[in-house]
Amino acid sequence: MNKTLNRRDFIKTTSATTIGVATVASGITLTTFASTNKVPVTNEKRWGMLIDTNKLTEAGIDGMVSACQEEQGWGSELHSTGSQKPGWIKKLKVKDKATGKVSNLALMCQHCEEPPCVDVCPTNASMKREDGIVLVDKHLCIGCRYCMMACPYDARSFVHEALRNQKEHMPRGKGTVESCTMCVHKVDKGEVPACVASVNSDAVIFGDLYDASSKINQTLRTVQSAQIRADLNLNTGVRYSGI
Amino acid sequence: MNRLLIVFLTLLVSSVFAHTNLGEQASSIKASGKVFHESISIIRKIHPEFLRHKRDKTLRQGVRTDEYSLKGCVSCHVNKDKTNNQYYSVDKKGQFCSDCHEQVSVSLDCFSCHRTIPKEGSL
Repeated sequence: MNKTLNRRDFIKTTSATTIGVATVASGITLTTFASTNKVPVTNEKRWGMLIDTNKLTEAGIDGMVSACQEEQGWGSELHSTGSQKPGWIKKLKVKDKATGKVSNLALMCQHCEEPPCVDVCPTNASMKREDGIVLVDKHLCIGCRYCMMACPYDARSFVHEALRNQKEHMPRGKGTVESCTMCVHKVDKGEVPACVASVNSDAVIFGDLYDASSKINQTLRTVQSAQIRADLNLNTGVRYSGI
Repeated sequence: MNRLLIVFLTLLVSSVFAHTNLGEQASSIKASGKVFHESISIIRKIHPEFLRHKRDKTLRQGVRTDEYSLKGCVSCHVNKDKTNNQYYSVDKKGQFCSDCHEQVSVSLDCFSCHRTIPKEGSL
């Protein structure tokens, strides 16, 4: 059988192979991109935040609060009175009695490794994701508010009124407890939480605490940082430096 | 007599779905002949199970796919008021969800928390 390859055949085979390879290659890239949220999150990651209280100004904290309100759609409740109003993130002033030094803290859910809110929940609505983000499953929440009482950081609030026109990614409703979600909908897309994005400087760093190459891990290894109420041994995901 | 009974029953059953207000995008998909839900009877019967399964996977495991996403249901089955270019809520009387749910007297709890119209900016 004559196996000499003429010019026309050569072009045919080469182009067919190229197209084939290109199709397979593009298929691979497409699946890699699309599969980011198809697999369950694992405990190989632990999301955390480091807040530098020396760098973060009072205006910066206010910016974080309004970025959170804007992103998650809370804060415009009409009928809730003072203490009923939700506060996913708040500005807290702490004063050292001896020196009189005043620090401003941005306080939100600390995303504990051992969350007391999860321990006390009677319906398993209060839960911690494998990657360390603590959430309320409002499908199961009965509004008993045990978690609000158990939380040492007063991070959770209760929705006291019927709501409409919620954000598409953040369902909220009367009779359920809510708190900072660490913008889980954004984190799952590879973005950073809204409050972190609102701070332009590196006063607030978000990232994977376990990843040795992440900025948060490296910073935590070099600077002095603290957990609020570290005596409770909750191992919080939100850390503070400069307090 | 039997024939009359069959006619009556067919009318009764079909009346539940007869006036179903499919929603804008869903109607155009149907008109174009494309198949979105493989079996209409399955999706009619067990859409709550699909949604329940999906909600746990999304909330607890972070699996965020479009399949059986409530956002997807809403964006496809919502209707728009032509006069002021605003969406009708899907749980409003006569709209897609409440159409059947009211008829069969099954309460609809999704929308005490979930948004009833597609997100802002998609108008």
